[in-house]
Amino acid sequence: MIKRIWPIAAAVMMDSLRRKVVYVVLVFAALLVLAIPSLPDYGLGVESAVYREIALALSYVTGLVIALSLAANRVPSELEKRTVYNVLSKGVSRWEYLVGTWLGILGVMAGAIVAFTTVEMVMGYFTYGELMWRLWQGALATWLEMGVISAFAVAVSSVAGPVVVVTATLAALFIGHSRSTLLGGEGALAFKPFYPSLDAFNVVNPVAHGTGVPLVYVLSMIVVFIGFAGVCLSLGVALLGRRDL
Amino acid sequence: MADAAIRVLGARKVYSVPGKPRRTAVADVSITVDAGTIHGLLGPNGAGKTTTLKMLLGLVKPSAGTFEVLGADSTRPSGRRHLGFLPEQPYFPIHLTARQAMRFYGSLVGLEAEVVKEQTASLLDRVGLADAERTELSKFSRGMLQRLGIAQALLGSPEVVIFDEPASGLDPVGQRDVRNLMLELRAAGITVLLSSHQLSEVEAVCDRVTILNRGTVAAEGDINALLNVDGRTSVRATGMDALPSQVASEAEDTVVSGGVWVFSVPTAATRTVVDAIDDAGGTIVAITPKRESLEDYFASLLASGPKGVES
Repeated sequence: MIKRIWPIAAAVMMDSLRRKVVYVVLVFAALLVLAIPSLPDYGLGVESAVYREIALALSYVTGLVIALSLAANRVPSELEKRTVYNVLSKGVSRWEYLVGTWLGILGVMAGAIVAFTTVEMVMGYFTYGELMWRLWQGALATWLEMGVISAFAVAVSSVAGPVVVVTATLAALFIGHSRSTLLGGEGALAFKPFYPSLDAFNVVNPVAHGTGVPLVYVLSMIVVFIGFAGVCLSLGVALLGRRDL
Repeated sequence: MADAAIRVLGARKVYSVPGKPRRTAVADVSITVDAGTIHGLLGPNGAGKTTTLKMLLGLVKPSAGTFEVLGADSTRPSGRRHLGFLPEQPYFPIHLTARQAMRFYGSLVGLEAEVVKEQTASLLDRVGLADAERTELSKFSRGMLQRLGIAQALLGSPEVVIFDEPASGLDPVGQRDVRNLMLELRAAGITVLLSSHQLSEVEAVCDRVTILNRGTVAAEGDINALLNVDGRTSVRATGMDALPSQVASEAEDTVVSGGVWVFSVPTAATRTVVDAIDDAGGTIVAITPKRESLEDYFASLLASGPKGVES
């Protein structure tokens, strides 16, 4: 099983190294990080916490763009170009193909987020003279949330084209962060336990302004990640499994 | 009787799209391919060949039927692990080199890195791509991609190989190479299921053929039995300016070219015809059962085929 999943994940990672969009997004985001201390409002004595907050936001947007660009295109492209025939005819299950693709995207995002957070750390150190280790907690939260988002995108992409995938994923992202808005009224309180909220991955306050995230919370984030990603991938496998290729 | 390497029984595929009439792509197809043989799958466009192959490979969900490769259910991934497949017009990730593509597909069939390396070298050499091992696939011609498709289908030394239009995009030399390759595979005991429009290719290599038309099996059997014309014998003779009268009265489909006469006579009259040619000073070059060309057979079969499948 792993012998078949790993080559697919590796192929996705190798392919992404050739995609200009990944580098363009990373370079652009890195330039923005370098520009944070020069913002007019920022120069008036605002503390390094704001730097951390903006850095986290940039990491998030960078991760999102990379996740969408990879997850929305990979499967539809392989189905349309029929490169998937050569893969599935070799005894690879559809679920192995989908999970391998998702793991490859997860790997690319891990590399991008690690690289980006390193730039933020270095920039923060030279600007404020402090090592902002807590940024790594934020990086982990971003990576986990993007893992869920890319699992959703991969699932939708098994039956839809890139435009639909991006639209549906952005809608899911909006819904995922709108629990308090959408279920604010008392009449909807009973639905809260079932709401697919992504707020669990929002650690901006403790990372940027607080003392960081406790280990127990990090572990619980991972559990939420596994749960949501598992549900999304199961849905994707079910959809792809019913599809005629 | 040889064991069946591929067995398709009662295959049926109906596409159902809400708001549109149901479309039957395959109505009822059964194919048995004996181990170690080359079996041809023929049919016009829309006959159901590719859909049948896709059902066999688990790429399309069958509406009905059973699909087995070497006794295992081939609609399940585990049933396809001893199978090689060349899709019609194979596509590859074009940023890879030929060697990287082979390494990728080799790893999918579970080969160790060292084995993949060995097989890549030998298979690329076998299909004439040894010099292009490090070339990016975006620079490959249509024929080169086809050759690579054949090479990847043979990774892992499969016991059964399915070729969908293997000669497509190849020049005459490449087509000959593919024919020779299929004959070599058969000699090595490998079963080949060949789907092709190239009737000459099928006629040259296949032991048996199944002809599909409108989603059903229109004919199936030994290619010689299908093509031989009952009761008639084909004669080739030289050394005559004209056919002797006893021969001319019996001969049909007479063609003369370069001093060689080719015609057919009733099998019962063969002895008389041979004697007449001998008496006239002619020389018999060959006497064989009269055989219809596959093209003619195919055309007549399709003209009289079933028309029961709704489309």
